[in-house]
This record gives sequence, C-alpha cells and structure tokens, in this order.
Amino acid sequence: MPLEPSTFLILVLLGGIVAVDGTSFGQFMISRPFVAASLAGLVVGDPVSGATLGLMLEAFHLTVLPVGAAKYPEGGPAAVAGAGIYASTASAPSALVLTILVVLLLEYLGGETVRYLRQTNIGLVTVDHRPQLRARDLEKRHWLAMALDFARGCLLVALGMVVIALASRHLFPYWGFGEDLPQMMLIGILAGLLASTVSLLGSRFWFALAGATVAVAFLVLQA
Amino acid sequence: MNGFPGGVRLRMLLRSFTIQGSWNYETLIGAGFAYTILPALRHLYGKEGDALEKSVERHEELFNSHPYFVTVAVGAVSRLEQMGADPAVVVRFKTALRGSLGSMGDRLIWSAWRPMSLLIGLVLLLAGAAWWLAVAVFLVVYNALHLAVRVKGLQLGTEAGFDIGRVLKESPLQLVIDAASRFASFLVGVAVVLAAAPIYQDRGAALLVGTAIVLGAFLGTRSRRVMIAILAGVAALALAFGVMGYGA
Repeated sequence: MPLEPSTFLILVLLGGIVAVDGTSFGQFMISRPFVAASLAGLVVGDPVSGATLGLMLEAFHLTVLPVGAAKYPEGGPAAVAGAGIYASTASAPSALVLTILVVLLLEYLGGETVRYLRQTNIGLVTVDHRPQLRARDLEKRHWLAMALDFARGCLLVALGMVVIALASRHLFPYWGFGEDLPQMMLIGILAGLLASTVSLLGSRFWFALAGATVAVAFLVLQA
Repeated sequence: MNGFPGGVRLRMLLRSFTIQGSWNYETLIGAGFAYTILPALRHLYGKEGDALEKSVERHEELFNSHPYFVTVAVGAVSRLEQMGADPAVVVRFKTALRGSLGSMGDRLIWSAWRPMSLLIGLVLLLAGAAWWLAVAVFLVVYNALHLAVRVKGLQLGTEAGFDIGRVLKESPLQLVIDAASRFASFLVGVAVVLAAAPIYQDRGAALLVGTAIVLGAFLGTRSRRVMIAILAGVAALALAFGVMGYGA
C-alpha cells in the first residue's frame, strides 16, 4: 500500500528527530532501532510489524558502542525508513530479511553522513581551525549545527524509504527459498546476537545460564 | 555551597542536553562545553565584554567526556571560575577530569545500564507484552538514571569544585555497574530462550539456532559482522535462485 504524502512527511520528520536524539540533542534513546522502528510502525498504522523489525535491528545494535570519535553505524533514521515501508507492506519473513539487509546498508550510509557532518562542524565552531568564537556567535552556530543534523536525518529517511520501497517492489518478489528458511534464520540470528551481548557485560555466563533456566521453567509451566 | 542562582543552574542543566550539538573532529565537544557553561560565565563576567569573551574562548578548546557525566565537569569548572581560579589551572583541571568522566560514563551507561534497560524492553516484547509497554518501560528505566546523572552531576560539581575527584571516588558507581551487568546477563539468558522458543519442536531448526547461540556467545562483539555476512549470503543465494526462476 503506497504511503500518503502526509504519512511520508511525518516519517521524514521523525527521522530528523531520531537523528538529533542519536548525538546532538538529549540522547533519550528514542533513536534506538527498537524504539524508532516501533514509532515508525505506529505512524503507518502497524506498530507490531515496526516493533518486530525494531527487535531484529536492536539485536544487531546491542554491542555497538558510541565511544569517543569511533565510526559506527547510525541506527535511528535507518530504522524509521525500514519500518515505514516494511510495516506498510506485506510482512513475510523473506521481506523482513531483505528489509534488515537494506536497513543495515542505510545504517552505514548514516554513519558516513555523521562523519561528514562532524567534519563540517569544524568550520562552524572554529575560526581558521582555532576555537575563538564570541559568545553570541557560538550560540547561533551551535544551534545551526543541530539544525543541520536534523536536516541530515530527514534527508536520510526520505532517501531510505525510496530505496526500500523500490527494493521491496522490484527485488523482494524474487526471493527463491520459500518462507520457512528465512523464518528459521531470523530466529537463529536473533538468538545468536542476543547471546553475543554477554561478552559486553563482562562474560557473566553463569548469570545468563540462570536467566535461561528461569525462562525455560516459565515456558514449561505455561505449556 | 555554591553561589549560582537556581536559574543559572537550570539553564546550564538544560543546555547540557545539547552538549554534543556541534560535535566536531577538532575540538570534539569543546564548543558544546562553552555553550553549556555560558550562563555561569555571563553570571560571573557580565552579559558582554572582554572578560566574558576570553572565558568563552578558553572553554571552547578541545574537550570530551561522556555526554551525561559532563554536567559534573560543567558544575566543577563553573565553581572554579566563581572562585577566581587561575585559567591555566582550570585548563589542567578539565584535562584531568575529562578522561575519568568519559571512562565512568562508558562503563556505567554504555556498557551496563543501556544494555540492561534495552534487554528489559526486549524480554517484555519476546514474552508477548504490548509493543508500547516494552518501549515505555525501556525509556523510563533508561532515562531514570540518565536524568539522575545529569541533575546530580551538576549539583555535585558546583558544590565540590576542586574536590570533585574525591567525591566521585566515594560514589557507589562500581556497585551499580556490577549489579546492572549481572542483571543484564541474566536477561540475556531469558531473552535467548524466549527468542528460540518458537522452534524447539523442530529438531533441524533447533540445531541451527543452537549453533547460532554458541557462535554468538563465542564470537562476542564480532558476531555482528558474521551474522550480517550469513544473512547477506543466504539472501543473495535466494535472490539468485528467484531470478533464475527456481523456488517459490
């Protein structure tokens, strides 16, 4: 189902908001793929599909750390673009696999645009590469940098949605392995990525094992 | 006790939310730091004039820290400015502070609290809770500490000044990091089982998923690349088969 222009516009603005939340403003974590995709799903009328895509994307992001000047993929705007299209079209597991792959590519593109913006900001907040702005100029340019970041997020989501919509129309129908394999793959990858998080937490495997035992007990009791 | 009026402290707190707004590869968050501390500088040196501009220039220099813990530095440095500390001493103080605040924030927020909060949300989602509940619980739990760090950090900084090192050393941060990491590890176990539950009756699928879990635990943070490669490889094959007219 094609998106209404107003829905497209809301998603683009949401992209700008999650882009600035990522670094420039607040970092309240609405830019996490799990949140951003759910909100984008809500905008197009299917938050559950948005949350499903968000869950998968979040698993890919759990071990990505924004430390110092490190280069890292940007999850928020890409998740909005992905969920905006995925949640408004057919939600077969194969479509989910392919959407995840396109979104992961967009995340790297987003990361590159962040790098470019940070390079651009040098010219904004320094004079001849020396930090010597006057107070009022500093305030104006600081906000201008944030406005650029917002515009960057909007553009990224608009471009991303076009790319994913085209791929979903012209590429996704060629999936040739049926729907059982992608379903199984998604479960395996989700479980594998979640398991990989233990290393980030100091490899406390006994605690993870205790959690697994409790979850098994819960499922057995529920059955 | 510091002598900054409540309005000045509130403006610094609100501005701290934008501290990374002009992040750049030369001064990192230097400009953001100067922007955040500006209400205190205006309070001390007047709304305009050379003294103000010189102090702003000093604080525009390279600085980096965790974006939440930076309020500790903003508070402490504004206190030093208020005490009339030598500018060279203030610069050395900032340099000494930025590494430890960055490391604290990385260990507490990025490596423990955020994964824990996210895993709470993901476990709720996997257990069948409504999407909005999972999202809301994540945001509330995560931001409870986020906001507490910003508010308390500014308060401690403005009160302690030079003494902030001792205050931070006495804080129970390591206890919180350990507790959050343990609980997050526990949640990883819960999440893995809930994620794998739909296939437990299919032996072939269970073997595949079991292998993925072992691979994930073994590879740790390198898993992301491996999983992307596997996903991309299978997708490329599936599309190639489809284009050739095979399959569904």
